[in-house]
Amino acid sequence: MAADQAPRYFGARVARRQDDRLLRGDGRYVADISPAGVLAAKFVRSDEAHAVVAGIDIEAASVAEGVKEVFVGEDFADNEIRCVSSYAGFQESAQPILALDRVRHVGEALAMVVADNEYVAEDAAELVVADLEPLPAAVDIDTALDVGCAPLHPGWRDNAFVRRRATTYGFNEASSSAPHRVSIELHNGRHSGVPIETRACVAEHDPGTGRFRLHTTTQIPHLIRAGLSWALGVPESLIQVIAPDVGGGFGIKAQLYPEEVACCLAARRLSRPVKWVEDRREHFVAAHHSREHRHSVTGYFDDDGTILALEADIAVDMGAYSVFPWTATMDGGMAMGILPGPYRIHEYSVSSTSVCTNKTPYGAYRGVARPAACFSIERLMDQIARHLGVDRVEIRNRNLLADGDYPWRSPSGLIYDSGSLVESLDAVLALGDLEGLLKRQADARTAGRLVGVGLAVFTEQTAHTTQEFKQRGVPIVFGYETAKVRLDASGTAVVSASIHDHGQGLETTLAQVAADRLGLDLEQIRVEYGDTEQVAYGAGTFASRSAVLAGGAVTKAADAVADTLRQVAAHMLEAAPEDMVVETGRVSVAGSPSQFLETTELCRLIYQRPERLPEGVEPHLEASRTYDAHPGTGAYTNAAHLASVEIDPLTGKTRVLSYAVVEDCGPMINPTIVEGQIFGGVAQGVGSALFEEFLYDEAGQPLSTTFADYLVPVMSDIPDFQVAHLQTPSPHTIGGLKGMGEGGAIAPGAVIASAVEDALSHLVGTVTVDRLPLTPERVLGYIDAANGNGTGP
Amino acid sequence: MAELSVSVNGELTAAQVDPRTLLSDYLRDHLGLTGTHVGCEHGYCGACTVLVDGASVRSCLTLAVQADGRSVDTVESLASNGELHPIQQAFKECHGLQCGFCTPGLLMSVLELAATNPGCGRDEIREHLSGNVCRCTGYHHIVDAVEAALNSVREQGDGS
Ligand code: FES
Ligand code: FES
Repeated sequence: MAADQAPRYFGARVARRQDDRLLRGDGRYVADISPAGVLAAKFVRSDEAHAVVAGIDIEAASVAEGVKEVFVGEDFADNEIRCVSSYAGFQESAQPILALDRVRHVGEALAMVVADNEYVAEDAAELVVADLEPLPAAVDIDTALDVGCAPLHPGWRDNAFVRRRATTYGFNEASSSAPHRVSIELHNGRHSGVPIETRACVAEHDPGTGRFRLHTTTQIPHLIRAGLSWALGVPESLIQVIAPDVGGGFGIKAQLYPEEVACCLAARRLSRPVKWVEDRREHFVAAHHSREHRHSVTGYFDDDGTILALEADIAVDMGAYSVFPWTATMDGGMAMGILPGPYRIHEYSVSSTSVCTNKTPYGAYRGVARPAACFSIERLMDQIARHLGVDRVEIRNRNLLADGDYPWRSPSGLIYDSGSLVESLDAVLALGDLEGLLKRQADARTAGRLVGVGLAVFTEQTAHTTQEFKQRGVPIVFGYETAKVRLDASGTAVVSASIHDHGQGLETTLAQVAADRLGLDLEQIRVEYGDTEQVAYGAGTFASRSAVLAGGAVTKAADAVADTLRQVAAHMLEAAPEDMVVETGRVSVAGSPSQFLETTELCRLIYQRPERLPEGVEPHLEASRTYDAHPGTGAYTNAAHLASVEIDPLTGKTRVLSYAVVEDCGPMINPTIVEGQIFGGVAQGVGSALFEEFLYDEAGQPLSTTFADYLVPVMSDIPDFQVAHLQTPSPHTIGGLKGMGEGGAIAPGAVIASAVEDALSHLVGTVTVDRLPLTPERVLGYIDAANGNGTGP
Repeated sequence: MAELSVSVNGELTAAQVDPRTLLSDYLRDHLGLTGTHVGCEHGYCGACTVLVDGASVRSCLTLAVQADGRSVDTVESLASNGELHPIQQAFKECHGLQCGFCTPGLLMSVLELAATNPGCGRDEIREHLSGNVCRCTGYHHIVDAVEAALNSVREQGDGS
């Protein structure tokens, strides 16, 4: 077949298509949607972490002016959210839509007030009185797992959703004969994505047809439809889910929430649209938390620092319920898989416990377990380097997978397809000017200042599909994404994709892909997504996979449409279809460019002059394709990060002075968008490393319920970034693409911990930084410990 | 109910409102100007920033009646005759937005900055705009955009 022209848009830094409407204030977010007759919902939430619900008095609220109805648990007792893992021994939880006899975390909804407007609903919610009889709360991993702690769910053996374990065949021998070992216990604070748009939904129900329509802030419209179908007991054909513009997701908006179910049920009961917009305080206690891992890791190594075996015990504080669609096992499983990271480790023994506690349930957040895994293995590498007196870069170079190692089967069974680890580490040292940083550090030390340099390297599984999710024991195995491409008679195209764009720029990148395949201008393509009635089934946007999978599906569908163009053009020009070339705005005969038909002419002909079509060609230009990036084990992106920090010895406040990233996500559709994703991820990672934490007291009371106590990075906290790219294509994906949406957020915890440890390393004693976030109080604790005062943070 | 008369984006609006109505709710629910976003309702995130008599305020912490007799500008006032404002254009060219939720408030803060301190450099930009939280961009491209916007505002100033 003749080769089409070189891509015009793939790889180009084109400006985003969606920006005009967002910049003008014409975006349409869920909170902006108010159907006629809409009512406002307000949830009354538990202020106890663990309690028996002895009674809820809704009398006064129900008769308040403007209140339509107050719902309590029994009203929705036929409905629940249940997400069951197929892992052996998994203990199931049933999350009620509104609490029944028990509450299991502060923020769990007890009642729902539906009223004329938000002001009235909020007033009435104050009148609801819940009689809660407190029970002892299991607020941390050790308390929950203590044999004396009563199980939080009926019929459970203990408070582990699941315990898992895996050991390679040669682990015992390799570990017992190793000349050196280093152990470290690492803690990651509980925090989450905290998008600036809180959650919101608007539910409508048509009593005539029985159909539901739910506008909701989600990344996964089709999966929400599936989950609603289970929770409501209504077939999917009667449920339409629409995710319009969504103000950031980061994983937090990739779960089904009880509020979505409640609004649907209330809309059905009241035959009126019901709208709920979460307030920020609710968000901190009721939107899913993430990241709280505790890892005990031991590295066994030889005199050179070559790792001979790795041992890890992982515990994750999953909160009160198993969440849909991930179950309560995702983080533990992911950490088990990726903890060996980018290193040539053959022998591995790992156990993991997903712990149920009286805290807000735990869902996805950008990077899912990988930030904790990277923190563990990179902290371990730094400790090994220190133990042997070897440089931190050198110890990594001795263990990093090299070009000849691919495909690499990790000791946890992951297949790393390709990468450029050594090269990326090398490149980041130059980009971030390690030499210059060390010089400035030496000068700063002479002046009595605490300056440190940190680095980390990681590999990231992206675009994993069926093969991977099958192994994760999730009830719905997601893999493929779907795209439909339709060219119309005026020669413009609509691309409908099953992914969702809530900032990633897919509305633009998918148009870039389609434009190249069809020879169209970017302006001639419209990309639609988010409405389950409009786009074909697919999982949605999460796990760094949308550009790869939807990009692949768009490529396949557009190619199928282009084939019809070729066929018809060949017929009209009396040439062979395989000699036809798709160019900008035309289809021509290879080698004789004067013989061509304009694409618009072809499109009109195909739809409006069917009598002129060759036999067997149907008069339409439309194709729908799915793509699953076979074999589904993932395309591995890698990156190296290098940063410098300065600590104020009086306050303990850490400031990031510089941050450099070299990332290899294969060929890039739009490098500007890739860089935006990296920067955004790194800034969130800096938040994880230095500021963000959902703290609780011993009774399970959350202490971080406003932006005044849950600190997110602001503009003055974040330095300018330096970024460079390597482009090693994946052998598994169309175009060699690899995903990269999460990567930026993976390494900063490890990098900044390494830098803080380095900054303190010349004080009297050495300290081991083993805990995130590195808040000023914790850093002061490390400084005291290094100076020989106190016991550390 | 309180009488309210306020000029919004150059047009006089008048309404009877419950005195506790927030300015953000007045703009969004009464006037349908949903470009102003609400991200926290406790004065931290800056998504709800609008200008009242040219000065930035958090519309989530301002009562609508406090704007009585004054003039309010929202993101919807920026583009004119279908053309993006130079600040909007700079955000588009520099990829200064991702999900777009923080963007309207940020643009209004930049508009104020352009009027009060158009000569400031990257560090000052970061200090000035630290009251507008963005969770998507990591700020780098925003600072690029603001730098470019201030440049073009200065050039326009020089030209006139
Ligand atoms: S919504 Fe007003 S400051 Fe956040
Ligand atoms: S662009 Fe999403 S919060 Fe700023």
